[in-house]
Amino acid sequence: MPDDTKPRQPPEPQPRSVPPRPRVKLTIDDREVEVDAGTNLLEAARAIGVQIPHYCYHPRLSITASCRMCLVEASNSPKPVPACQMPATECLVVQTRSALVKEAQRATLEFLLLNHPVDCAVCDQAGECKLQDYYQEHDAQPSRLAGPKIQKEKRRVLGPLVTLDQERCILCTRCVRFMCEVAGEPQLGVFGRGSHEAIDTFPDKPLDSNYAGNTVDLCPVGALTNSDFRFTARAFFLTATPSVCTGCARGCSVWLDHFNGETYRYRPRENVAVNGPWMCDVGRLSYKPLVHDRALEVKIGRAGEGRTAEGREAARFAIEKLKPLAGSERLAFVASPTASVEDLLATFRLASEGLKLKRVFVSGRAADKGDRLLLREDRNPNRLGLDWVAQAFGLKVEPFERLVEEIDAERVKGVLAVGEDVPTDPKLVASLLLNLDPVIVLATNLGPVAGMGHVLLPSCPCSEDDGTFVNFEGHAQRFVAAYRTRGQSRPHWTWAATLLEELGVEVGWRSARDVFAELAPRVAQLAGFDWASAPGYLTHPRGLRTLPAAADARHGIHRERS
Amino acid sequence: MPYKVSNEKLTLREQAYLPEMIRGLGVTARHFLRNLFTRRDPAPEILDREGPCQITTVQYPEEKVEYPPGYRGLHRLVPREDGSPRCVACYMCATVCPAQCIYIEAGEYPADDPSAPNRVIERYPTKFVIDELRCIVCGFCVEACPKDAIRMDTGLHAVSSEERRAFMLEREALLRGPAVEHPSDPWRKREDSSAPEHGEKEAHRRISPRKNGG
Amino acid sequence: MRLRWGMILLVFVGLPALLFGLSAGFYALAALAEGLFTGGAGVVNVFTLLLVMVMVFSALLTLAERKWSAAMQDRIGPNRANLGPLRLGGLFHFVADALKMLFKEDFTPAGADKWLFRLAPALAFIPVFCLFAVVPVAPPVELFGETVSLQIANPDFGVLYVFAFASLAVFGTALAGWASNNKLALLGGVRATSQMISYEVALGLSLVGAIAAFSALTPAGGSSLRLEQMVESQSTWLWGGGGGFDFGVPAWGILLQPLGFVLFFAAAFAETKRAPFDMPEGESEIVGYFVEYSGMRFGLFMISEFVEIVVLSGVIASVFFGGYHLPFGEAWLQGHLGDFWFAALQGSVFWLKVIVLAWLQLAIRWTFPRFRYDQVQKLGWRILLPAGLFNVFATAALVLLDPSLRLLALFGLAQIALLVYLVGSGGKPAPAAPDERPVAVSDHDGVSA
Ligand code: SF4
Ligand code: SF4
Ligand code: FES
Repeated sequence: MPDDTKPRQPPEPQPRSVPPRPRVKLTIDDREVEVDAGTNLLEAARAIGVQIPHYCYHPRLSITASCRMCLVEASNSPKPVPACQMPATECLVVQTRSALVKEAQRATLEFLLLNHPVDCAVCDQAGECKLQDYYQEHDAQPSRLAGPKIQKEKRRVLGPLVTLDQERCILCTRCVRFMCEVAGEPQLGVFGRGSHEAIDTFPDKPLDSNYAGNTVDLCPVGALTNSDFRFTARAFFLTATPSVCTGCARGCSVWLDHFNGETYRYRPRENVAVNGPWMCDVGRLSYKPLVHDRALEVKIGRAGEGRTAEGREAARFAIEKLKPLAGSERLAFVASPTASVEDLLATFRLASEGLKLKRVFVSGRAADKGDRLLLREDRNPNRLGLDWVAQAFGLKVEPFERLVEEIDAERVKGVLAVGEDVPTDPKLVASLLLNLDPVIVLATNLGPVAGMGHVLLPSCPCSEDDGTFVNFEGHAQRFVAAYRTRGQSRPHWTWAATLLEELGVEVGWRSARDVFAELAPRVAQLAGFDWASAPGYLTHPRGLRTLPAAADARHGIHRERS
Repeated sequence: MPYKVSNEKLTLREQAYLPEMIRGLGVTARHFLRNLFTRRDPAPEILDREGPCQITTVQYPEEKVEYPPGYRGLHRLVPREDGSPRCVACYMCATVCPAQCIYIEAGEYPADDPSAPNRVIERYPTKFVIDELRCIVCGFCVEACPKDAIRMDTGLHAVSSEERRAFMLEREALLRGPAVEHPSDPWRKREDSSAPEHGEKEAHRRISPRKNGG
Repeated sequence: MRLRWGMILLVFVGLPALLFGLSAGFYALAALAEGLFTGGAGVVNVFTLLLVMVMVFSALLTLAERKWSAAMQDRIGPNRANLGPLRLGGLFHFVADALKMLFKEDFTPAGADKWLFRLAPALAFIPVFCLFAVVPVAPPVELFGETVSLQIANPDFGVLYVFAFASLAVFGTALAGWASNNKLALLGGVRATSQMISYEVALGLSLVGAIAAFSALTPAGGSSLRLEQMVESQSTWLWGGGGGFDFGVPAWGILLQPLGFVLFFAAAFAETKRAPFDMPEGESEIVGYFVEYSGMRFGLFMISEFVEIVVLSGVIASVFFGGYHLPFGEAWLQGHLGDFWFAALQGSVFWLKVIVLAWLQLAIRWTFPRFRYDQVQKLGWRILLPAGLFNVFATAALVLLDPSLRLLALFGLAQIALLVYLVGSGGKPAPAAPDERPVAVSDHDGVSA
């Protein structure tokens, strides 16, 4: 689903466009199927719902046919052929369930598992491992190996994010191919011969590509593990919730894997229009603020002298302080493009309708180096969304430097800040804020800036509420709440609603969806949107999904999406 | 004890009641005198009591009946010979536990850990907590463990305490009892997690007759 | 066989010695008091016999009931109460029980009749307690110039006094049941009353034979209703007697009146409301007339039950088992010990008989299941009453025929022989076929097949 919020637009062209090819008809398991000529048998079978086991094949990578797991019987060959490599031809008859194929699959698997250490108890992949799945399905017999197994290196730290267990590796070379073909940084290779063949990096060249994390997702077994995620949770406990990476302005579609109200990792979610099936390592690690240093208590008073309070009391206190400055240039409204469109809409309404402000100063994270593939220099997921919303409310967008100048010139007396991220050194900003009164901060995470707030209203990030980000290309993407809000933290729009109520404005928002419903009439770019035609998971019933992890982790999120 | 109930008609003598009453009294009196004047045998096998004293009471805190071999007592985390837990924090027990009373956090031993098993199996439980109050003593965790790392062979009841906290048995409290090692344990086959030197390729050697195999 | 020598010594040496010493001490106290003022002996006897002996005895019986029943059921019984390291096999449990009762909340239900509710325990306890007054514990003896005996009162109407006060106790029960304002308690009270009515008749009748028999041995001018006189009568010999060691068949009530003994025992047992006659209590069905009582008020009901046991044992010992008399060797012992020590010995003999009879009552309670209510009534009216009447007539006829009572004794012996035969003829049931016998199960009592 290329563009979640604009489903009625024509689909984007496929990135790897191929000239239209003639169609061919063939028979797979006694069923006729018509596909483009040259489509491999594996994809042709998938088109009619026949799953062929495979390891080395990946639709986005070149084909090596090295694992032999996908052997099928084809009428044009006396021996079983690898389905991943065999193009569909007219009148071909393919058997994927015959005794010969079953025996071939069983034998292949037995060989693949011959030297496998079977340390599932230790292995991170257990629960989403293709070896486990296929063993149950196709082999299911004890090892017949009589001698000792080949021993290889079990803990090879390839780079900052990837650790390799060579013993578990089945040499499908997906990782090697990915690094060459997609990342364009051929940092991995196959070394050694025969049984001693192993994946490795080149001497003194670590696997430090920004896309190295994708090799972990690609690895169909537990050989490549994510050093950050390693051993922290079992895959079968995790629930996957569709979300959006907040690492940069690309806003890659991701699965947010969580358990017990805690996020454990991001994994890319295929979205052809935005990120394809990949994501970068910077984004992969950007889940950390969802977990660490969260602001979870409503605070009245600055850090060190503050006290915890009830939300309503703090809101009343904040409004008391803000009211005298309402409508004046001396109150600066600061918003961060890390907040969702809904949150911005609600807070902008507070600023413009409630406090009669005319300008918004844009904070947010500082720009950093981008790359040619996915990572953008702008590290804020919603800058375009912020511009759209500001436009809708007629607020003038001012850069953060302007705010610094005005504070220096003592033209600003108070600050209402949405989000605690600032593009410069937060300590510096904190020292600027020191002389201002009032400073009201809606922050998801603790830090020097959040600590400056006379009132700190803890707000929750994208893991705890529904919302929308608009990436730099204008794709609006929806994320959904994975678990309940933590501590006293509430969505920004809830705080905005509370503050508006204190100002005497009733907004009547009950959920993020109600806030979103205000988007269409106000924001021109989102005018055509309506919920009824949105893709399935966007319209999921309100409330959290409490399915056991494996139940919903199996469809869609499985690493093997191809 | 399987008594047979007979519904036969009472004889006249039995209907007279008194003789049978006196015989009944005889039974009680016999027990009474035996138990009063002879010494109690404190051996706990209460079913085959042999001496004249028939008292089967076990004076609990001082005397204890030995539990049958399969008795599911308090859990323990089985240590390796070097004292580290056999557990690899695989969560199998926590997954199977119907009471969801096992909490585990996994960690990683450094590659140069002084203990050989820890160099070979880098994963271990940094935290392992069993809430004995929630445990229903089903023994599933023991069945599920692929590493023979959790057992219920301590022969102990759950401790008694006035605090709920005391029933949250932490790793330190659980790790006890005799060490267990199996020939198949991976650290018996290699020194650490690095690849061993292949002086001669044992992959070829192992095709030769069995005696060379391990 | 590993014997408990301590227990054997305690039972066969320590206990008689203790009772002997106590009896001697009581005599001495009574004599000293009598020396101070006339009637002093009676006052002291009230204290020594009633308050010391009967009360302590009853209190200990509460423990004994638990320990003895435990022994009968192959258990140990309560043994944890202690005074620091001093445990004495749980001897202090009765102290603990008493303390518990005293300190428990004394609860009066809202709808209860306050006065009657409070009166009932006293009414249940006092009559039973008074009963012991007429029981002769030891014979009169001359000491410090005074003639004293261990008996509180020695009225001519001793047996009638026993009947009268024994029936009074039911008032407490009936009132407790009624005043509690609880239907179960009321049921208990009603049951107690009807049971008392049924058994009162049999109780009276069962002793008529004994009275008739002993009247033949009572010297002219004596009253055969007087308990002390009954005891004295039983020191006469039916056959043999005299001579150096004084050996023969004494005229004990049990020999003359075995049927009377059984009837009296059954009827009196029913009056004590203990299992198997614990219909008024019946804890498995109606909980009992004291269901609303707690604390020491309940304690009074309980202790009166045990006092009743002691008193009943005393009366039975006096009427059927020769009271404080030994069955042989009395003259020889008296000659060797002197009057005073012999009397003290007789006192301890009496108490030993009481203990054995109390044990018998407990054993009965722990052997037989409770009767059904209709069975209780049937037993009273259809069996005890006719048998009692028969006993009266037979005894009267035999006493008239042979005033030396030998004929009556022969008749009694015949009854005993028949009973012994009947008891003996009830052999073990034939063992089942070997393949049906349960394996590895030892069957000590021959109850199972
Ligand atoms: S015995 Fe059963 S309930 Fe207890 S910890 Fe083990 S699996 Fe859980
Ligand atoms: S199943 Fe065994 S190895 Fe796995 S976490 Fe539990 S105790 Fe540890
Ligand atoms: S998937 Fe076809 S050979 Fe690997």
